[in-house]
Amino acid sequence: MRSRTREMQAALVVCAAALLALAIKPAAGQAPAASGAKAPATSAAAAKPATPGQFPPYRAPRTADGKPDFNGIWQAFVNADIDIQDHDAQAGPHPDVMGAYDQWPGGQGIVEGGEIPYKPEALAQKKANAAKRMVVNVTSDDHRHDTGDPELKCYMPGVPRANYMPFPFQIVQGPDRILIAYEYARSLRTIYLDANEKAIPQKSPADTWMGWSHGHFEGDTLVVDSTGFVPYTWFDRAGDYHSDALHVVERYTQVSPYHIMYEATIEDPNVFTRPWKMSFPLYRRMEKNIQLVDFNCTEFVLDLVYGQYSKYPNKK
Amino acid sequence: MSNRNWVPSTALGVVLAVVLLLPVFAAAQAPSATAAKATPSSTAGKPAAQPASAAKPAAIPRTADGHPDLHGYYNFLTVTPLQRPAKYGNREFLTPQETKDVFEKGLQSAYEPRDGDEEHYGNELFNPNSVDYDPTTFGLSPWQNGIKPNPRTSLVVDPPDGRIPPLTEAAKAAQAARGRQQAPAVAETANLAGSRAGTPVEGQGYVVDDHNGNGVVHADVPLDLGYGTTCVSPGGGAPIFPGEYNADMYILQTPNNVVIQGVNGYRVIPIDGRPALGGSFKEQWHGSGVGHWEGDTLVVETTNFHQGNAYRGANPKTLKITERFTRISPETIEYKFTIDDPSTWTRPWSVILPLSAENGPLFEFACTEDDYDAVNILAGARAFEKKAQEKAKEKGVPISQK
Repeated sequence: MRSRTREMQAALVVCAAALLALAIKPAAGQAPAASGAKAPATSAAAAKPATPGQFPPYRAPRTADGKPDFNGIWQAFVNADIDIQDHDAQAGPHPDVMGAYDQWPGGQGIVEGGEIPYKPEALAQKKANAAKRMVVNVTSDDHRHDTGDPELKCYMPGVPRANYMPFPFQIVQGPDRILIAYEYARSLRTIYLDANEKAIPQKSPADTWMGWSHGHFEGDTLVVDSTGFVPYTWFDRAGDYHSDALHVVERYTQVSPYHIMYEATIEDPNVFTRPWKMSFPLYRRMEKNIQLVDFNCTEFVLDLVYGQYSKYPNKK
Repeated sequence: MSNRNWVPSTALGVVLAVVLLLPVFAAAQAPSATAAKATPSSTAGKPAAQPASAAKPAAIPRTADGHPDLHGYYNFLTVTPLQRPAKYGNREFLTPQETKDVFEKGLQSAYEPRDGDEEHYGNELFNPNSVDYDPTTFGLSPWQNGIKPNPRTSLVVDPPDGRIPPLTEAAKAAQAARGRQQAPAVAETANLAGSRAGTPVEGQGYVVDDHNGNGVVHADVPLDLGYGTTCVSPGGGAPIFPGEYNADMYILQTPNNVVIQGVNGYRVIPIDGRPALGGSFKEQWHGSGVGHWEGDTLVVETTNFHQGNAYRGANPKTLKITERFTRISPETIEYKFTIDDPSTWTRPWSVILPLSAENGPLFEFACTEDDYDAVNILAGARAFEKKAQEKAKEKGVPISQK
């Protein structure tokens, strides 16, 4: 009789080995640790103190299609919206009523090199803008946008002012395009990612307040090229402005999980003698359930903007 | 005894071991949801690799995280009436010939005077109150505006009779009161022969269509014109529903958010489980909305509406809108919305509106910045009043300042 006993024993050993292997999953197959999982057992050295202007080398996480992931809610903490150059604190428009509520803080400028290279006649225009920034005269003809800071009327802030308004904005990044949703006046930018948006015209079919933008990636940097602007937005409340020849090239570079170093090169041969740059950090909003909250300022400026046509023009 | 059919036990043991171990290795190699390795660029239209358990039709494009890919431009213009014409009873679908006839008749009627026929009147495409636009001037050819035939008898699919349920008594009273508030001059002008919305009526106040269906408003202060004409109320909110034009949209989809972008406004809907903005927020123009996937359907639930932006005059505090987006072909998303407001309608009701893929781009809508209407209507009212005053002075008749 053939001995089946030894063979059965061998089979049992193999089965037992299989069951044992099932119990101990190979370590290499485990999912990489999610955030919050225990850290590896190496000793954690104390972090080096943070130094303004310096970041240790960093590589941003990638989206499913391999691009640096910019999704999130971000905000600048400069007050360049008031003045993109160095400026002292100043009383607001109605200190007699508003007191310190409306006082404008001082701040260091975001213009690299400090100087905005205006042509001489353009510098005169900037000063005229500043002098009339709170004059409101909205007509229904071609002069509709001649006078006053568009921010006062809750108009779209344009580029790059939208990025340094004191409000958060949300970057939503798909494979074909990036949308930037701004809390301020619900403004929206579309950045077409050229690799996948071949059907989109290179030039804007019509001029816009928030520009016509094409983007591509260079390593960890998102580069955005924008043209097709209307000439009606300002760079700040100090009257800094541009023409419809404005060309903005932005570079968004993630330098840590929480920071983007941002720079915008401004080119406008009608207004400036050469290109110039603004730069500042953008910070990731880290509140757990952070979302944008409406700032629909149009409702509250109706009497200011259309008051001259109201039946009760003195009613405020 | 013959051993020809005997399988060696050792071999059996090995086979058993392999079969038992296989799921372990397979699971170990599946990408984890929290730390996916970079995969080759997955553009829309390419189905991503699927776990064996999810057997879905290959025709529906999917994103890298396995959900149907909803992104793209869509048009939702339609000649199908919102409510089902009575002649169809409980019939939900037209025959193919009827579908063709309704579509062609609907398009043709855009070029004809509106005759008050319910079949036309109930069609959201044709606003009998509109004084703005001659329909022939803004492109109602299907190849220009993307209208597709729809085999449904109505957009309303529930209740089964295809009609919006009755208002509650409380809602009827509230809407009547609002109507009286906003149109005090109606009684004065109703008996004037030839008077219609848009005609200034001498000495009787300024008759103007505010585009919100109210017919008669004053134009004394900017907000008299309503939230729409003053560009206060942003578009793009729930539900998605066509007017006469601008029935275009874009959906952007990521693992954590969906952006629903209309022509003159947009919503960012978190789908990563974070809670909606809480009930203390009363002034969010698109309410508080969050979304999640139920199988292959994206579900978006919105509550806490702004008092100026609640659909069809519903109660912003109790209104809940549930939207369902299901891709049913590479060209079409079936969009279904359910209106649930027990203080306004006696029961919930639902609409199915097809979203048809189209080419972009969408253009920027600078409403606030270029609101010529607000200036012209107000300035026009002031000019009209001044003229009436001058005429009265000539005649020596005092004119009411109401």
